[in-house]
Order: sequence, then C-alpha cells, then structure tokens
Amino acid sequence: MITNPQDMTRKEGAFEREPARRVFATELRECRYQFKDGEDEKSPTFVLLPTGERSNRIFIVGTLTEKTRQGEQNIFYRGRVVDPTGTFFVMAGSYQPEAMQQLAKIETPAFVAVIGKPNLYQKPDGSFMNSVRVESITVVDKDTRDLWVLDAAKQTLDRIDIFNIGTAPDVIKTKEQYPNSDPAVFRRAAYDALAQIKM
Amino acid sequence: MDYSEAAERISRKFSKSGKAVDVKKIEGKLRRLVDEFGVQPQEAERSVTNELNKEFNIPTAGSGGGSKAGSGNEEKKIAEGVPGDWVTIVGKVVALSAPASPSIAQSGIIADESGAIRFVAWAKSNAPAMAEGSWYHIESAVVDEFKGVPNLKIHSGTTVKEISEDRSLIPTPVPIKDLHPGIAGVRAKVIQEWDASHERMLQSGLLGDETGTIKFVIWKEPGKEKLVVGAVYTIFYAQVDEFNGRLSLNLNTATIMQEEGDIPVSGGETAVQGSIVHIAPGSGIIKRCPVEGCNRALSRQNYCPIHEIQPKFVYDLRIKGWLDDGEKTHNILLQRDVVESLTGITLNAAKEIAENNPLGMDEVFLQVRDKVLGRYVICHGREIDGRILVNTCERVKFETSEHAALLNRAGGSS
Ligand SMILES: [Zn+2]
Repeated sequence: MITNPQDMTRKEGAFEREPARRVFATELRECRYQFKDGEDEKSPTFVLLPTGERSNRIFIVGTLTEKTRQGEQNIFYRGRVVDPTGTFFVMAGSYQPEAMQQLAKIETPAFVAVIGKPNLYQKPDGSFMNSVRVESITVVDKDTRDLWVLDAAKQTLDRIDIFNIGTAPDVIKTKEQYPNSDPAVFRRAAYDALAQIKM
Repeated sequence: MDYSEAAERISRKFSKSGKAVDVKKIEGKLRRLVDEFGVQPQEAERSVTNELNKEFNIPTAGSGGGSKAGSGNEEKKIAEGVPGDWVTIVGKVVALSAPASPSIAQSGIIADESGAIRFVAWAKSNAPAMAEGSWYHIESAVVDEFKGVPNLKIHSGTTVKEISEDRSLIPTPVPIKDLHPGIAGVRAKVIQEWDASHERMLQSGLLGDETGTIKFVIWKEPGKEKLVVGAVYTIFYAQVDEFNGRLSLNLNTATIMQEEGDIPVSGGETAVQGSIVHIAPGSGIIKRCPVEGCNRALSRQNYCPIHEIQPKFVYDLRIKGWLDDGEKTHNILLQRDVVESLTGITLNAAKEIAENNPLGMDEVFLQVRDKVLGRYVICHGREIDGRILVNTCERVKFETSEHAALLNRAGGSS
C-alpha cells in the first residue's frame, strides 16, 4: 500500500470524538436528565439514558415518515423517524446547513441513518420533549435498518447488564435521577424490536 | 532526607490513580516519623504510603519485605523494582545521556540480566561519575516514575561503588505489542520514514515486527545516524515513552545493530466494525502533487505547500472519516482501491464527474458521502498514530444466527 506521508503525520491531538450511542426511541423518550461534563463553555452536554449511560451523540436508523419545513427567516426542518419501538423527533436548522440540505432533499418515506445530538427540552407545562439535532442524515437500505436493530438491541442489553452490576458511576447517577426506572422495560423493547425483523 | 522530594513522590503516586493528597501534610508526617521517632527514611516513606493506601482502601501490593525495615539494602533485579521501592542493584551502565538540567549530575541507562532502567543521579547526591560499559553496585536508590516511565533516582542517601565485572549482557528483544513504558529492546524493520516535525529531530518513522508497529524518533545529537527504510535492526535499550495513550520509541539511548535479511511485518493489524458516522472534508476526489516523492494533496488552486502551483496534478480518491462502534470512534483513512470497491465509484468515473458536473469535485464528495455514511462496515487495517489505514472495508452482512442469539438473550430472564 502506498501511503502518503502527509496523511500520517497530522495529529488530531488529544481530541477524542464522543461515540454515537445506539438507543431505541422508547428509551430516548424516557430521558429526563441532561448535564454538562466540565465547567467549560465547550464541555460536551450529555443526556442520561435510563439504562445507565451518558450520551452526547446517537446513531439511529429508521423510517423517515414526515418532514416539515418551518420558520420564516430562520428556516429549519423537522422530521419523524420511526423505529420498531417508537418515534424520534429530529431537526436540522441553519446551524447544520449540510444536515438541513440532506433532510430537505429526502422524499418520505425512506429508511434513513441519522447521526445527531440528543436534546432534552422541558416544556412550560413541565413535560419533557426529547429531540435529535441532526448532524447528518442519509438514505439507506433495509439491510442497514435491520443491522441497526441488532446493534441497538445488543448495546441496550449490554447497558442493562452493566446497570444490573450497579457499580458504574453513570449507573449510580441513573439510579439517583430515575429512581423508578426499570431496565426490564427496555429489555422487553429490545426483544419486541428484534421480533419485528423477519427471520 | 529530602522531605519535600519524598512527599512529592508519594503524592505523585496517588494522584496518578486520581487520589488527591496533601503534600504538606505528608511532608510533616515524614519529618515527624524521622525526626521525632527515629524511623529510617525509607521506612517512614513506606509507612506514610501504606497509611494513605489504607485511607483510600488500596490493598498493599506484594507485601514481600513490605514491613521489613531497611529493605532498601536488599539486592534486587532491575526488572523487579516498582515505583516507590528503595532498592539496591548491581548493573552495567549501558548508555549515558546529556543531563536535562543543572540539578542532574548524570543520567542514562543501567542494565542487568533481568532488564534495564533509566537512572538519574542528582547533583547533590555527590555520586561518583559513572562510565559507560562499567558495572556498579548501587545501594539505597529509589525507583520512581517520570511520565509513566520507571526511573532509578540516585540521591544523597545512595552509595555508588564501581565493581570489577565484565559479564556480557545479552538482552532479549520484546515483541512490539508487548512493549510498555520503560527501557526495552526490539527486533524490527523500518517500515516508514516521516517528515521531521521538529528541527531538532533527526528522523522519525515507523518500526514494525510480526506483532505490531510503533513510532520511533531519533533526536539530533553528535554520532547519531538515520535508520534505513526497509532495513531490519536489533535495538537494545531504547526508551519506550507514552503520550496520549500511544507508545513511541526514543532511540537516542539505544544500541542499534543493523541485521542481514528481512522479517515479516504483519503488525498493527486491527479490525473494527461499526457505522461510518462522519465523512471529513478532503474526502472524495483530490489532486496530488506530481513531484517525485511528494504526493501531497493540493489545494483547490492546485497549490502544493512545498512545490507551489502544480497544473499537472494527479487525481486520487480517498475517504477520511470516523467509524463508530457505539463505544469508541475510530479515525479511518481509506485509499483509492478501498474507496472504489466500497462505493463502486472508480477513479475514472470520479474524474468524469469532477470535470463535467457543475459542482465539480464537490459532487464527487456528495456521491461518495451518500454511498457510505450511516452504513455498517468492517475495516481491516493498520492503526498508526491514532488512525486506521484501511486495507479492506466491507459492508457488514445480516447474520440470522446473530439475530437468533440476540432474541434469546433479550427473551432470557431479567
Ligand atoms: Zn509537492
């Protein structure tokens, strides 16, 4: 393999990209707690997943069923992405021009892969609204959707295993923040999602 | 006894594992133990350390001799010394390096049959000057850690005596994948030479053996020579450093012997499965500098940072991006053949688009992006300096057996 030396020596420094968690809609919908890691203005913001892990970024694959253009001066797009367990509310505004262009072009319905930031918003009536700020959205095939269901199920079950051990700092935080949360619900959701894929 | 130095040493040990300790308090305790209770300095240090261990619920590792006073006089093999130990060793000075500061009289590497360690003799230690190639009996020195690398400190309480001995030491090379910070030897091939990133740098590049690859660096110093790319070397007494979780070999202290022949280098092979979550700018079709040996990516204006305007550029395809498995995100670089087989877009087809589509090269970027972003792939390649140079990249296939296993697992008792 010929390697260009220039491609090699460039350092990204100590920069670590936050991983994209695999989470079903039914779990993301239950998030009630959002926090910053660090004092810095640029410190990443996380939502705490009820299975006991922080998430700054998520990766979802589902069906884009609806898309609406909104706003007069500040145009933005909203969309609904459906997985076997529920619905994700996604949005892309002028701060994510590439994502907005991608979303604008997609004809519904379509299987889409979304990389984005989970965002928790408390409405004036006290109820919570979870949405996903899109970093990128691409049309994919059904195979990718099925692979995602396996992936999301596996990672949900992995998180539940760690939750049941109970010693990880994020798990302890989760038990404080969501005292009534029952991981069995999310195990059941993972099972139902898997069962919807035809053998 | 230098109380503040000892207190610093203890505090460093704990802060490494995330425990904050009060240095002034430790210093006070040491002083009290030694001055008021007549405890030997090394025993005082050990006792304060153990007390803190208890406080933090850290089990005291390998208590062999742990409670024995004066065990600093116990002769140890160099490889057995762990940070915090007071040791007495017999070893051969195999390298001397220029002291980094006036407070240091001498520094270098001392070795025995078990291994080698960097040593530092403080100016105030009044230790006799040691000579490369000679053997010494060093009594009551302290092993500590500097940037994760064990270090033998020769201080005012240490006795250094030259001994007559001329055993020859034959160190064993270590497989690259088993290297850890400290002093070590490898038998490896120079796989790549990189552009020097610093004017004091003589050479940097990549060494590989059957088990892996590691970055190496040689700093400019009288008598230092560059390694030859493609040649195999046996290297002893190199310093393995760690920076940002990555290891590198500093060869300035090393004994280097070029060898005949070749060795297989399959090293650094990794496989990562996940989804492609980002395609970075500079992916798609690019133009490269045609000057022999340069091959740098040109700017939009066909400008090479070294060779300026190059209208006779060469087209190439690549993808720079991030592959994410849900736990960790890996920086990946896919070269032309891998991009072609993953996207189905050949370099020729990309060239057509770049030259005829109104969006030009941007259109190639968009088409490449739309074909790979969000897809599950498995990449095989070599991880070099935090980036995977991908040799093959294939779409992941749906496995019915995995589906069945997951259904089982999810349906199992909670
Ligand atoms: Zn050039």
